[in-house]
Amino acid sequence: MFAKIQTGFALAVLLSCTGFEYASAAEKAQAVEAGAFHGKVHKTSGRATIYKEADGKLVLRLTNFKTSNGPDVHVILIAAKDADDDANFLKNSTDKLELGSLKGNEGDQNYDIPDGTDLDKFQTVSIYCERFNANFGAAPLKKL
Amino acid sequence: MKSNAFSWLSRHKLLLVAVSIPVLVALWWAFRPEKLWINQTVNEAAPFDTTGDPDPIFTGQFDGKAGGRVTVFKKPNGQEYLRLKDLTLSGDTDAHVELAKSGEVSPAREGAKANADSIDLGPLKMGQGDQSYGLAADADLTKYDAVVIYNKRTSTILGSAKLEAF
Repeated sequence: MFAKIQTGFALAVLLSCTGFEYASAAEKAQAVEAGAFHGKVHKTSGRATIYKEADGKLVLRLTNFKTSNGPDVHVILIAAKDADDDANFLKNSTDKLELGSLKGNEGDQNYDIPDGTDLDKFQTVSIYCERFNANFGAAPLKKL
Repeated sequence: MKSNAFSWLSRHKLLLVAVSIPVLVALWWAFRPEKLWINQTVNEAAPFDTTGDPDPIFTGQFDGKAGGRVTVFKKPNGQEYLRLKDLTLSGDTDAHVELAKSGEVSPAREGAKANADSIDLGPLKMGQGDQSYGLAADADLTKYDAVVIYNKRTSTILGSAKLEAF
């Protein structure tokens, strides 16, 4: 009976220790870059933050985000310091990196950034309407 | 002529409907007008714990003899601090980090700092790398909107960064 309690106690201690370890590992996500959205074709506001997780994975997180709803809107990274106007990245052959369809035009949301993405090259987040080739809004990223 | 066209249309009503439906569908697909008043709200949690993370509020790039970036963070408890990132400043002694007004300071106006209104944050901890400095609660960063690295001994501004809100 006593031995059973003892093993149970030991197991609980072990579990809580590994649990703590897991939690602290998860907390190690570091904000590496951030920027504020400014609207272009449509009013856009909020903040974009890129986090680097403990395993090196990059995640883009939009917070307090708001833009217009629209057809075929995507979140992309562009190889430019900022998207000044439509012509800036639509006519030039600026490199684009697709992160996925915009999940919602309002609210907090996360997008995975492919492994090996060069953040020194891709410096701006753009909310991009593929159908009309329009830049809804952009956030130039700055290193933290 | 007019009545001819009208009668042609009325005789081919079905054709007209058959043509206009795909056109309308294509227009709807392209513009999705209902999205003008329908919002799509999401609320995803961060995939990791962000509670207690400081919030970046101002940032600026150094120019002059100093390179790197300064970012002002606000902790959840309201306390603010200043972080220098990737600072490069070739061996200078007696350098201080100060808050100043951007209109009054720039590396080009080296001596101007002597008369300028500024808040000293303390001696520069190191010329290279990342470092943090605490900010007093009453430091108004909309007024003092520049960070300068200032040599007290020679009264020269080694680098300055204008702060911009995030």
